[in-house]
Amino acid sequence: MGALDNILFGFQVAFQPSNLLFCFIGVVVGTLVGVLPGIGPAGAIGLLLPATFRISPTSGIIMLAGIYYGAMYGGSTTSILVNIPGEAASVVTCLDGYQMARQGRAGPALGIAAWGSFIAGTISIVGLMLVADPLAKVALHFGPPEYFALICTGLILVTYLSQGSILKALMMALVGILIGNVGLDLVNALPRFTFGLTDLEDGVGIVPLVMGLFGISEVFLNLEQDLDRREIFQTRIQNLWPSIEDWAEAKWAILRGSIIGFFLGILPGGGAVLSSFVSYAVEKRISKHPEKFGKGAIEGVAAPESANNSAAGGSLIPLVSLGIPANPAMAMLFSALIIYGIQPGPLFIKNNPDLFWGLIASMYLGNGLLLLLNLPMIGIWVQVLKVPYRILFPLILLFCLIGAYSVNNSTFDLFLMILFGTLGYLMRKFAYDAAPLVLAFVLGPILEQSLRRSLMISGGSFAIFITRPIACFALGFAFLLLLSNIIPYIKKRRHEYREYEE
Amino acid sequence: MGVGTLQKPGMGFITFGASALLGILSLSLFLRTTMKGGHPKTGPILAAKLWKRVLLTLVALLIYARLMPVAGYLISTFLLMSFLFWIVRGKKWWWVLISSFLTTLITYYVFSVWLKAQFPEGPFGF
Repeated sequence: MGALDNILFGFQVAFQPSNLLFCFIGVVVGTLVGVLPGIGPAGAIGLLLPATFRISPTSGIIMLAGIYYGAMYGGSTTSILVNIPGEAASVVTCLDGYQMARQGRAGPALGIAAWGSFIAGTISIVGLMLVADPLAKVALHFGPPEYFALICTGLILVTYLSQGSILKALMMALVGILIGNVGLDLVNALPRFTFGLTDLEDGVGIVPLVMGLFGISEVFLNLEQDLDRREIFQTRIQNLWPSIEDWAEAKWAILRGSIIGFFLGILPGGGAVLSSFVSYAVEKRISKHPEKFGKGAIEGVAAPESANNSAAGGSLIPLVSLGIPANPAMAMLFSALIIYGIQPGPLFIKNNPDLFWGLIASMYLGNGLLLLLNLPMIGIWVQVLKVPYRILFPLILLFCLIGAYSVNNSTFDLFLMILFGTLGYLMRKFAYDAAPLVLAFVLGPILEQSLRRSLMISGGSFAIFITRPIACFALGFAFLLLLSNIIPYIKKRRHEYREYEE
Repeated sequence: MGVGTLQKPGMGFITFGASALLGILSLSLFLRTTMKGGHPKTGPILAAKLWKRVLLTLVALLIYARLMPVAGYLISTFLLMSFLFWIVRGKKWWWVLISSFLTTLITYYVFSVWLKAQFPEGPFGF
């Protein structure tokens, strides 16, 4: 089948009424999640995950993916109108978006954000189509040493790109590996760290973990501050269609944002947040009038909004072709696939063509739906924004409780979620990033399997990671990353020491 | 739980390795912050003025998790919602009760009846 046949087949799947409906539900929930602060895309996927057990895996994945890229659209609305990002990927949109709104240009800002997102989403889907399949074919030749090396590199990249201290991020990754080890051992099926609790024999569930770390902890943090300090910019939103001048200024920003977003999205830990920041910085650097940035430059809205949407498509690539999720939301999709009995990895596309091509086509449709949802219906989302936090937070907590409970119908999971919520709250207080923990938690068991198998193959020799070229290259890259972080620190210390000596 | 050998790594192999690395990193973070001196960048845990609200919410969630299998979804959720809507004040008692009642009922219908999630039943059969 050629690429065109594949995509036509995908549209056949995506246009089935049930899939279309779930795509619509996904993007609506996604936009809602993006607009509302307090529950990110990973948490929302966790909430709706149990509900997808009763529908076909294809519909389920279409809906869950819709939540993810829909949230990227919704996030821009709050950034522009309220100066509070709905989720992390829209932080940088606040800088120029809110300024545009203050100058009475909320309409064009929202318009260019939505159109930029649409164009970027489309570009990234084309990229996904072109890259994922060939990469999966290469990955078919990967053995345990390659997987071990790739996962190590991925985890180190996540810690390298995470916000705050790399040392702390590395520690979080190790904690994630340890939490991932709870449960029955994969080789000899003996319990490990279960403390005699039968509930822990299946391991720690990802839904309570993610909802606790991202959902509950966020609510706790907001609760200790005065609620409802949000002020919505009171303006009539008009001219949602950007003018020709706006287009002329923003068109290259959209294109550059899309490309940057796509490639950074592929990297583990890169994803939407990093790509929005990078694309903003790039635009400011190459702009002819950098002084306008931060004062309402339309490129400052177009570039990051395009980048975060494009990254959403890009981050699907490592998941579908290598079986390695690139960020917490993808980790949720990864777990969803496992629950459906589908193994993400090199054989994923070959074994599940309906799912893969259906998903791609549905993302295309979803992008169109989002444009319809976000431009003519912007008024509805502004009304949603006005719901006060004191009404919102009990609902967020309740949704988290329902989500965590209904995966296994187990109250033990509720306690686990509350525990991780408290842990996440403390982690945020002490500036520990939760993303490396979640990724290491998901990747931990694969990491362990591949390390143990590699050592069994090589008869106990670590040389296997050096003699295999791909593994050697990946580990070398990871090593250089770590080194590049340590060297400046050592230099600084030596410098300080010399000064002290003198 | 043995660490095993390099030829045949046991089930404690990676946990031991990860724990050892975590120990080393923790120690280096500890040394780094102590040697640097001065004040840490992060503030104290209970610096915010409304920390009691966080603590009360946490306790309420724990009680809810304990209560739900005994009292059932409807009763325990109604109690939790009433508490959470009440804790931030600003609303009349009848508003709190009505909105808790509606939230409980709507979520029950959406998740239990429509999406077929199985919530525990209480002593009165609901």
